[in-house]
Amino acid sequence: MTSASPWIPVALSADIEAGTSAGTLVNGEERVVWRDDKGAIHVWEDRCPHRGMRMSFGFVRGDHIACLYHGWRYDTSGQCRYIPAHPDLEVPQTIKVPTFAATERAGIVWMALEGADAAELSALPETAEPVRSLFLDMTAEAALAAVTSTLPEGCSVSATSASTVTLEGNGTTVLIAAQARDAERTALHMTVTGDISTTTRRSLALWATDLRNRLESQMVEAA
Amino acid sequence: MIRLYDYHLDENGFRVRLLLSMLGLSFETVAVDKAPGREQEKPHMLALNPTGTLPILEDGDVRLFGTVAILAYLVRAYKPDSPWLPADAADFGRVQQWLGFSTRELKPAVDAREAALFTSEGASDSDLKAARKAFRIMNDHMTVRQIEGFDWFVGTSPTLADLALLPSFALSRDSGIDHDEYPALRRWLRRFRALPGFITMSGVPDYH
Repeated sequence: MTSASPWIPVALSADIEAGTSAGTLVNGEERVVWRDDKGAIHVWEDRCPHRGMRMSFGFVRGDHIACLYHGWRYDTSGQCRYIPAHPDLEVPQTIKVPTFAATERAGIVWMALEGADAAELSALPETAEPVRSLFLDMTAEAALAAVTSTLPEGCSVSATSASTVTLEGNGTTVLIAAQARDAERTALHMTVTGDISTTTRRSLALWATDLRNRLESQMVEAA
Repeated sequence: MIRLYDYHLDENGFRVRLLLSMLGLSFETVAVDKAPGREQEKPHMLALNPTGTLPILEDGDVRLFGTVAILAYLVRAYKPDSPWLPADAADFGRVQQWLGFSTRELKPAVDAREAALFTSEGASDSDLKAARKAFRIMNDHMTVRQIEGFDWFVGTSPTLADLALLPSFALSRDSGIDHDEYPALRRWLRRFRALPGFITMSGVPDYH
């Protein structure tokens, strides 16, 4: 294992369509991942400073995201620009949602503290095709260990880091990136390069589903 | 004139209202005080539907209870050749499979939402757990469908399967189940919302 990268995977790129938002948990903290209509990705704290409503319940219009409660609108820097109840108000600079660095690499959306260097992800392929995100009730470490002990047929581990495992086999390279949602829950985001045919991606998605089902039946037996 | 006995916050009523709107059918509503009055269980309502549930549909001489029966009737009566109920035997069977799922596996989701909205105890842990399990089965299905290049639960166009499954997911936040863990369903919901005639109800944001 190499030293921990500051970059945390939070979603498959394909699952955050332009003009949409989704909530997620990162180490127990609520985050909103959203894509503006120009295609740029953003990761913020999932709280409207007004009443604490989750921004992920809101809606994206152009390059602004608006809160579902009262329509407060924020630009891509997290700065509130418009309050419908006070249309003539010059919104104070202090009304701002905390933001994170966000980037996309290997078909995955990654977040880090502002200022993080995206070059740290340069070992990964620039783009990749989505397989699926898998949600497991275990630590990220245990989830990655489960992957390496139940590999898809014909695949072997070609690289690992603290939060990723790369598999090779059958002409396909599979990246599995772990997001610690909280102390007991993990999301594994899977993408492929090389042979990205429907058949390959379908069988990998089913392998992942089967892995989850097997892990859960083990947990039931252990309980 | 089609008549629907309905309660405006009722999820199954929404299923029928949604189909009526998407089929472009006009209808009149008889408002039933389900919460807090439980009017659907009073004798004058049991005379119409002995099972004491909503919604109830009347259309001329036809009176029906049971949501999926109403949905299937409306398609057969008014859009018999539409893809809402496919003619192909395999796809017809698959639609029936998911319609059954919507009344069985999704019942805990319906019950959890009603308990969260209308009772002081709120949703039970067992209903919430079962609802999450049902959503996960749906998400697993749509994950593979998406990889195969299909947008809908069955076949190549929206069917009653999509229409009957969708309200529970669209309203899941009423009982505190977020959409985070169901990315394939999020995308499916967004696609369905863009179809002609889609309507919302309280709990399904107009903006998206």
